[in-house]
Amino acid sequence: MSTQNDGLVDRIGNVGRQAIGNGWTTERFALLGLLALVVVSVGPQFQVYLFTEFLIIALFAVAFNLLYGYTGLLSFGHAMFFGAGAYGLAIVLRDYQSAIAEIVGTGLAPLATFVVGGIAGVALALLIAIPVGYLSVRLEEIYFALITLAFGMLFYSLLLQDPYGLTNGSDGIFVALGGVELGGTEFRLAGRRIYYYITATVVTISIYGIWRIVNSPFGTICKALRESPDRAAALGINVSVHRWMTFIVSALFVSIAGVLIAGFSSVATPNEAHWSMSATPVVATVIGGASYFGGPIVGAFLYHYVRWGISRFPALEAYWELFFGIMLIVVVLYFKQGAAGGLAMVGAWLRNVQAAYDRGGANAATAFVRESIGEKLGSMMSRSTTGRSDDGGTDR
Amino acid sequence: MNPVNIFPLIGVGDVVIGLSLGSRLFLIAVGLSLIFGVLGVLNFAHGALYMLGAYFALSVVTNVVDNFWLAIVVGAIAVGIVGAAIEVVTIRPLYERAESDLDQLIVTFGFVLITHEAVRFIWGSQPYSTPMPDALNFTMSIGGSQFTAYRLFVVIAAALVMVGLWLFIKRTYFGSLVRGTSSDREMASMLGVDVPRLYTAVFFAGSFLAGLGGALAAPMQSIGPNLGEAVIIDAFIIVVIGGLGSLSGAFVGAMFVGMMQSIVPQFFDAGSIAVPFLAMVIVLLLKPEGLFGGIGE
Repeated sequence: MSTQNDGLVDRIGNVGRQAIGNGWTTERFALLGLLALVVVSVGPQFQVYLFTEFLIIALFAVAFNLLYGYTGLLSFGHAMFFGAGAYGLAIVLRDYQSAIAEIVGTGLAPLATFVVGGIAGVALALLIAIPVGYLSVRLEEIYFALITLAFGMLFYSLLLQDPYGLTNGSDGIFVALGGVELGGTEFRLAGRRIYYYITATVVTISIYGIWRIVNSPFGTICKALRESPDRAAALGINVSVHRWMTFIVSALFVSIAGVLIAGFSSVATPNEAHWSMSATPVVATVIGGASYFGGPIVGAFLYHYVRWGISRFPALEAYWELFFGIMLIVVVLYFKQGAAGGLAMVGAWLRNVQAAYDRGGANAATAFVRESIGEKLGSMMSRSTTGRSDDGGTDR
Repeated sequence: MNPVNIFPLIGVGDVVIGLSLGSRLFLIAVGLSLIFGVLGVLNFAHGALYMLGAYFALSVVTNVVDNFWLAIVVGAIAVGIVGAAIEVVTIRPLYERAESDLDQLIVTFGFVLITHEAVRFIWGSQPYSTPMPDALNFTMSIGGSQFTAYRLFVVIAAALVMVGLWLFIKRTYFGSLVRGTSSDREMASMLGVDVPRLYTAVFFAGSFLAGLGGALAAPMQSIGPNLGEAVIIDAFIIVVIGGLGSLSGAFVGAMFVGMMQSIVPQFFDAGSIAVPFLAMVIVLLLKPEGLFGGIGE
């Protein structure tokens, strides 16, 4: 790499070379992820369908974790924005499809309606998130969880009881995406593969956007607020304004996931906004590991595929929640890093094994394996026997 | 037109139904509030414990002895033991952790999922109903409106629990330990209170009350695996309105929500679900400590 050429191909090549050259870097993960997205798209229809839903849950969880893992606020009402996204799309599709067709012509109308509906869903979430966030961030911890739960259920009851005749009550609104005609062939937007491409593109861009946010000065302030709101305030940060902004950003990305789920399941129902839907990103994020950016994605993957895997066995089918309940408790009690933390630990360990192998061949590697496992077991034993010790009255 | 009826729109029957709904909610909410007041733990699984109380009572009546009163006692104690086990195994390790409130909430939410599935595994998904005890299974009539005598019994039972709990906390030695630990855990520990054991005892008591509520309400409602998830949200509304940790607040809040459920839908249909949540939001914003004071109030 003696000459630095600014050509696009070379730059991509450089990123690729860095990714392969430097071990498990972020670039390599990103490349692998994109590769996986492409591989899945040519898989069997059902797998494509399953993966689409996983991607939507992953975006939901990553956006939720912006508030939980990065800012330290546990919201139990994020389904409200999920529902807002879904209903925004559904209402535009139901009421404005013909008006949009008159403007852009019938050929592109379904795509235009989808885009306008998506924007409407995000706008609706913004409209809700501004006042709800402003009021909610005045409270902390349990009280924040309770007030977001209350706001979420307030929104749910409005969707369910439908006082303005807009949401069609408990039946919800049917979402039919239609098809776009291009060069004589019709592309059905709701077709599994086409919808997968749409979802994969939107989710990738959104998650990249969130990644940029958490690695920006804005994200650094979020982490500071999580660690110590008082110290952040002493440094001149307006704590509640920053929390409010984070709440809104998180809500907007959740609403994008909501728009996608309405198109995916062809219907928007009040269940999308029910508190049990708010629990989905909580479970996925905690199991995956809230302190890692990729944690919610790993968690969503587990949540979605373990559920699917369990459903393969008719005897166990109904009991997948049991598994997640146990996982949730085990992770919180003993393994705060979650599944992503576990993956990172295994990765670091494998690298050490390889380093030992490079130094002294197979014998050194096996010696290292034996030693490190013994050490791990030893520390686990000592931890369980030490038991609880009083901390002497730390301020809480 | 009945001349005795002084409420032309609200029947006495509706009031009794509202109070009986409130009474079962009170028994969940008061346990939830007690646990929060003393331990600082918001127990998401409290609705699940209530549901277990109903199922345990059902199983005793149908499989062991056909004695309703015994079933209530056995059910409540069994739920208390389950609650104490949850506290010892999963919540106790978290007290030491700084900022552990959210962790406790998530762990107890794990038990919501586990109980839901365990109940489906043991009893199946079909709804059950427990027969009312014969002694109270008759219709009463006051002021022209009718209701089952059992509902009145539940209201009286809840009121007795309220008085008993209040006396227990205010007048007994154990009650003073509970109040002391609630206001300053470190100081109580230094004065020789075995705090972990007291916490387990309080968790037992709170779970016992939830189980009692579930067992008492069993003849008034259909019992299914989603019962716990439905009542926990009501319980959250109640303890927030009444004040987390407040016993009298739980009583007033429970009666308020019970009356909302029985009377409001008769006047305006739209929005009757929304009103309690709106009340919860308003109380959280204006008076987050609730309308009533702390533990023992």
